[in-house]
Formats: sequence, C-alpha cells, structure tokens
Amino acid sequence: MTAVPTSRFRIPAPEMERIRTLLGRDPNLTEEAVFSALWSEHCSYKSSRIHLRKFSSKGPRVLMGPGENAGVVRVTSRTGIAFKMESHNHPSYIEPFQGAATGVGGILRDIFAMGARPVALTNSLVFGSLRQPRQMTLFRRVVAGIAAYGNAIGVPTVGGEVWFDERYSKNILVNAFALGVVDEDGIMSAVPPPKPLLAVYLGNKTGRDGVSGAAMASRSFTGGDTDLRPQVQVADPFVGKKVMEATLRIIREGLAGAIQDMGAAGLTSSSVEMASKASLGIEIDVERVPLRDPSMEPWEVLLSESQERMLLLVEESRVERILAIASDSQVSAAVVGRIITDPVFRVRKGEAVFAEIPVPFLTEEAPCYDRPARDRALPLSPTAHHAPSEAGRHSIAELFHRLLDHPNGGAADWISRQFDFEVGTRTLLPPGHDVAVVDLREEERAVAISMAGFSHPLTRDPGLGAMLLVAKCVTDLAAVGSWPVGMTDCLNFGNPERPETMSDFIQAVEGIAEASRRLGIPVVSGNVSFYNETDGLSIPPTPILATCGLLSSRRRVVPGKTTRPGLSLALVGSSTDLSLGGSYLDWILEDPEPGSVPLVDWETLGRLQPFMSAILADGRICASRAIGRGGLLRTLLQLVSGDATLGVALSLPRLEDPLETFFSEAPGRILLAFEPDQLRTLEETALEFRIPFQRVGSTAPRLWTIRYRDREGRVKELTDNLEQLKRRYAVSLAGQMEDLP
Amino acid sequence: MPSRHRVGIVRFPGTNCDLDTWEAVSLIPELEPVWISHKDRQGSDLSAIVLPGGFSYGDYLRTGIIAARSPVMDMVGSFAESGLPVLGICNGFQILVEAGILPGTLLPNSGRTFLCQEEALVMENCRTPFTTLFVPGTPLTLPIAHQEGRFFIDPDQLQEIEKKGQVLLRYLNNPNGSEREIAGLANGAGNVVGLMPHPERRVRSLFGRPDGLAFFRSLALHLDRQKLRTVETAP
Repeated sequence: MTAVPTSRFRIPAPEMERIRTLLGRDPNLTEEAVFSALWSEHCSYKSSRIHLRKFSSKGPRVLMGPGENAGVVRVTSRTGIAFKMESHNHPSYIEPFQGAATGVGGILRDIFAMGARPVALTNSLVFGSLRQPRQMTLFRRVVAGIAAYGNAIGVPTVGGEVWFDERYSKNILVNAFALGVVDEDGIMSAVPPPKPLLAVYLGNKTGRDGVSGAAMASRSFTGGDTDLRPQVQVADPFVGKKVMEATLRIIREGLAGAIQDMGAAGLTSSSVEMASKASLGIEIDVERVPLRDPSMEPWEVLLSESQERMLLLVEESRVERILAIASDSQVSAAVVGRIITDPVFRVRKGEAVFAEIPVPFLTEEAPCYDRPARDRALPLSPTAHHAPSEAGRHSIAELFHRLLDHPNGGAADWISRQFDFEVGTRTLLPPGHDVAVVDLREEERAVAISMAGFSHPLTRDPGLGAMLLVAKCVTDLAAVGSWPVGMTDCLNFGNPERPETMSDFIQAVEGIAEASRRLGIPVVSGNVSFYNETDGLSIPPTPILATCGLLSSRRRVVPGKTTRPGLSLALVGSSTDLSLGGSYLDWILEDPEPGSVPLVDWETLGRLQPFMSAILADGRICASRAIGRGGLLRTLLQLVSGDATLGVALSLPRLEDPLETFFSEAPGRILLAFEPDQLRTLEETALEFRIPFQRVGSTAPRLWTIRYRDREGRVKELTDNLEQLKRRYAVSLAGQMEDLP
Repeated sequence: MPSRHRVGIVRFPGTNCDLDTWEAVSLIPELEPVWISHKDRQGSDLSAIVLPGGFSYGDYLRTGIIAARSPVMDMVGSFAESGLPVLGICNGFQILVEAGILPGTLLPNSGRTFLCQEEALVMENCRTPFTTLFVPGTPLTLPIAHQEGRFFIDPDQLQEIEKKGQVLLRYLNNPNGSEREIAGLANGAGNVVGLMPHPERRVRSLFGRPDGLAFFRSLALHLDRQKLRTVETAP
C-alpha cells in the first residue's frame, strides 16, 4: 500500500492506518462512518481518558458512577438523585436556539434513562463581550432555547451562572446540568443483563439532522465553517416529554433490561456502548428504524443525532407491552436489532450486511492518547475587554462601581425570569440566591445545587484555580447548611493537540481530583469538551462544576437575601489568605503582574459545614450567603437585594489591605444576617467549632455606609448612594438586553 | 363520611402542571381530584373541572389551539354551559379562550420573552366559584410563568366584560401588556374562570405567601353550598 489513507469522515491518517490494521482490510463507507463517530474525541475521550482516572467516584452514598448515563447518589433511605452535566458548546455557536435546546433535551434524557424523574435543571453560560452584536444574538437565543425546552417539558430551571469574556467570542460555552429523583430499587442501567435481548427503538423518527455531530464537536472551528448547520440537531420538547413519560413508565413496569439515550453519535454509540458493557455483540437492521426520510443511507441512519430517541434492550416477552405503551404515548417504537453472542457490531439493511466490526475495535481498541503537555511560558492572552487600567489609582467606591457596571457583576434576573423555575413546585430556593434548593419530598429532605465555573483563577494557575472552584462549591453548599454528596463536571478546554492546553487540562483535573478527595466528594459523572478553539485561538481553561448537597430539613432552608432592617451581620470562616489573584477584580483590572491565587484553608473549610448546620438547625439565621463573585461588597449588596430600600451600615476594624477585605473571593467565608440577640450564642458556637467569627455591622434602611481604619489607623468611610448602587446592579446586564429598537 | 366533590383534572399531551394541580386539589379535604384524559368524551359524576397549565401539544400552531379541538373539550363545553365550575390556569386559560368558552385571546407577551416571576395582583370579582372566599380589592401575590399571556379583546367586548364585572384579577405592574391589566377573567355566567397566574404554585407556606390556596378552598365552599341547596330543595 502506498497511498496515504484519506477519510471521508475526517478521520486522521494515523487512525485510518490503525483501523486498517485492526480490520486487516479497508473499512467500507458505513464502517468508516461508525469509526469516525466512536473514535471521535467526543465519544472516545481519547485525549482525556487516562487523566480522568484520577477522579474518585467512590463513596458510601454512590449508587451509580461513571459509565452510566448519569451518576446516582443516595439521599434518603430509599431514594437517590441522578445528575450529570454536559456541554453543547459547538452546536450552540452554530445555531444558538436549537443548540441550547438540544443540550437541555440531551441531559434530561441521560437522567430519565436512569429511571429518575428530572426535577431540576441548571446551566452555565459563557459568551464573548456583549458589545458585539453577534454575542448579543447568541446570548439571547441560547437563553430562549434553554427556556423553550425546559419550560415546555416541565422541568424547572432553578439556577445557573453567566460570564462574558472576549476570549470566548468564537467559542461560547453552553453547559447544562440536570438532576432527577429515583427510587433506589427503580434505578435503570446502561449495562444489559446477560440474556438474549432485543433492541427497541423508542421516540422521534430519525432524520438527517445532526449527522456526524459528534465528529463536528471533536474538532476546532475554522473561518469557513458555514457548512455545519445541518450537523446541529433540532429539539422537540413536546416529543421529548412524551418520550420521557413513556420511558419512565416502561422502567416503572420493569420492562427494560438496559437503556441508553441516543445522544452523540446516536444509534451507533448507544448500541455499541451497551453491547460492549456486556461483552456482547449487537446487530442493527437500519431498515427497521423509523425514518423521516426513507432515502437515508445506512451510514446516515447510524450517525443521525435526531433528538428525543432512546434505545432499549429488552426481553422478547416484554416487547408487546413496550410497543403498546409507545403507541399510547404517541411516539414511534420498533424492534431494530438484537444482542448477539458474537462480539461484533453488525449493521444490516434487510438481508444485506453493511458493516461488521468487532465491538472491542470500537471501544477498548479506540485510540487513547497521552498527549504531550507543556507549561505555558507566557500567561494567557490578555482579556482585552477594557483598555488597560491603572490599578491602585482607583478608590474602593470606583472599583466597586466598575464591578457592578459590567454585565458580569449585574443581577441575572433577565435570564432567570425566562425560565420556569417553579414548575413541579419543588423549588425551595429559586434563582437569585447563591444555590438552588429543591425539595426531595421525602423524609423532609432537600437537595442544594451549586455551580462553579469561573475560569479566571485557572488562567492564573490551573491547578490552584481548579481547587478554588471545588472549595467555592462547598462553601456555597455550607451557606445553606447542606453537606456535599456528589459532584459532576464539564471540562471545557481548547485543542488537546496543543501541549499548553493539555498541560492546563492535566493540572485542572488534578486540582479537582485532589480537592474533591480531600473533602470526600465523589465525582460521579462528567463530560469533556475539547477543541473549543477557533482559528488557532483556544478558550481559557474552563472546568465547570456542579456539586449537590444534602439538607436534612427542608423547613430550615435559609435564603440568600433578606428584606429586614436591623439584622446583625457577621462574616464567618477563614481569612488567612485573601489574595486577589484570579478574582473578578483581578479580571476587571487585567493586572499585568497579578497577585497569587489564594490558597484554600482546608482545615477550616472542613469545619464550616458542620458549624453552619448547627446554627441553621437552631433557626438562628435569617439569611446567609457565601462570599462570591466581587467579594464582600458585592455579596453584601446581594444579601440586601430582597428589598429596594434595604442597605447596610458596617463598622470594621483596622484593615491591613482594604482591597483584599472588600474584593477577595477566597472561598470558605460566609456572610450571615441574624437577629442581634443571637450574637452571643453564635459567637459561642463559632468558638466551639473553631470557626473565625467577626461581627461586621447591620442591615439598615436606606443606608450604604462602611467605616474602617486604614493601615495607619485613620478612620475611613465609604458611603454610597444606595439607590444608585442597586440600580447599577439591576441594569448592568438587563439594561443591555432590553434596549432593543 | 360525606363523599368528596370530584374535581376532574384534564391532561393533554404536553400538560405539565398536572401534578401540581392534583396536589393543590388534594390539600382540600372536601375535594377529590380525578384524572381526565384528553380523549374522554364524558366525565362521570364531576363537580368541577380544572385545565392545568403546561404546553399542550407543544404550543404548536398556536398556544392552546390544538387542545381546544380535542375530544374532551366537547365535554368541558357542555359542562361549562350547564353552569358547573370550570377553571383554566395558564395554558388552561389559553385553551378556554381558543375553545370560545371564555372571551378574548392571549397574545405573546409585549416583551416577547417567557416570564416567570411573582406578580402583585388585585382581586376584583368574588362571585365566581373559585373566588368566594376573597373580598373585593384584596391584594395578593401569585407567580406567572408564560410566554403568551397578553390578554387582548376588541374594545366593544372589553367594555362589555368590564360592565358585567367579568374581570377577576388585575396586575398591579402589568408584566405582559394585557388590556386593562387583566390577569384573570370569568365568563358571563361566572362559572368559568381563566387565570394566567398559577394559584396551584402557592398552596404551601414553605416559601412565599400561600395566596393560591383560597382559590381551591373557595371551590370547596361553593360546592358544599350547592349541595346543601340541592338537599334543601329536594322534596
């Protein structure tokens, strides 16, 4: 053989060689299509697999870990929560509405494939600067797409985060998280039992939409990517709901042996992956697949990513009942194949065989790379969202205004009010608090969800930055008195073939792995999104985490804001390292010589949660909020956002470094609001738990006054117009979005 | 033990506030929720019917229009005509106007986006089966969650519904551009009610005021009174 094998499906030449070697022949068109999908980065995790092993998914509560559609963690004596997060970055950039909507639909299918009824959605969105009209459109349409799917299917979108940063203009991030509730004895698996099973297709008919989507999401964009639109799938939440109800009913009646949703690489990946987990083979007859267009080629049927489809492996005796349920639910269903003992993936169209590949070639033998990594010599590209500023020359008040005036510092109401966050009436803490809390309706328990995906600490230090994200989640969860029970992640990175990106990735994975191990949080599911790169420019390292916490009493949920004047305010938690490196202030100022990323005080952080549980159990706290984006000042403003006229009067001691005090985002600190007569008890409890406790002031009507002494002991006072501060916060995002002609 | 009043809850494909509505009805001891399918042509022994919110038929074509033509709506129509209580919430309201059981129409919100937020409201008409426990002028807070909630009606009809006192609820800060801030409406006879806000989402006191509970309590009271009247007038 002399010619370099080229691929019609953009399989790299060395991998084509490998395929030829494995098969001992040239793959035909259908086989090549199958390889292109299953060997894609998206399906095979070929660049990340060896690193993901560093995560620990073990824990006494873990019922299902990686390898399933979603992880499941036990939360009451008989129920579990199934949760997972996934990216839909590439499709959302090409077609924001459908891309985002199908992202939501896809993650929901992962949840109900486990037998869990979805009860909450959240999302993490990252865009370029809103100064660009294109970003404005992307943002508007992504939000509308998420709303269209979540609202219609009736699963509340209870929280999320958003970030605008020039460096994401060509590669926006749309990560969706879903959580469902499942009876422990009703958990479904994607691993079939060793029985002769039939493959039943359930859901929407297959069309040409999304053909090769997984491969598309596994490479970088280039300037001329105008031909990719057909690779984006189209969402249909109405069919999605019918498929969800039918699937849950089938699982409830115990009719299925294994279920997987047809997500990336559709029928191919779902059938091959399930067969592979049982070390068996599977035969699919494309002629029996319900099609929208009968002229579709077998390879198109195999690679289609048409939405709202599930693949079930079932015993023959159950087929009739399943088809009856499908017909009653008005969704298509058909027997499309069967499990075979010979471990091959065989594709037929009637009698003709179109592909025959040993299953291990597609899974275990898929490439697995230990890609070279090299630390960055230079810091990442500047953020360039503002002209370089002269840090240090601004007053604290001016800096605070700048933080609030950027859309990143504003209220996110414009987003959250487009999401039905209450349908299902389980939402105990809706958007606008730090974490979302959802009622489990069992044993008085509730579950809290914290999202953390701020990339700036990682651009300063990928390893330490990633640890900060974990610590932030845990602090958020502690603020409502919940303890972390499980984590899922979506690792958004650039091109793994670049050693710098790979180095960022490895450090971030190790950071998350170490921090979660320290805190005993199992990482039960996850997703990697590489190739967030356009024309050679990669996004900053952006792992996005979602951590679930358990609350033992839903009646003690404490809000993240208050309406009441005259409450005392205190700051609890460790303040040993309040470095500003990687903070929102650092990002705004673009400091060319940034400070270091704060080190987490793990010891104190570990005691923070039991302390918070203790004081919340006594009902002593009126509001509580973790110090988050923008530091103490912005968190204070959010804490009093319950009422338009409520402000604060603070009196602080001598401050070594006022900038750090007011703007540090070091995790592990929580702001509390409580009745003044609780002060002594709280101080005593804090002492008992060895948690630093500092009374800082009170909530006060119509006031924004902060007194402190500077390094030299001089009295300083920061007084601001409360009404204007609230206005800045309210309009910095919403104002941009509503000024339409 | 006296039998409870059976309240039919209609489920269309795409309805998604069905379970919430079921729970709200279940909270009232005098009421017994029963499922009604979109295919049912008759409901046995029902005292009232509720059309819950959601996205019936995926809001395809136009919100509520497909559901308004499904078999169950003939039954709902004659039920309403016979003077029995019917409540449509959100998409249920949209279906009732599409079916011509309530006047007017519900257009896309003036801001063109979905809106999920609490709204301050004022109760005006307390003579319907769902509002007997309210006092006219009562302020209340209920959540809205819709994309097509802008109530519109031609000026003549508007004058008529205002004159007849068919307006039930008005928004204090009109969120969607509704004519005359109308958030809830009754038919001429007063037995059919449509609400854009969601009373079934405010029946517990875990968060927010349970302002929605009184709608379901009112229904129970109304049905009890009806029953009493029937018993009294019986020979």
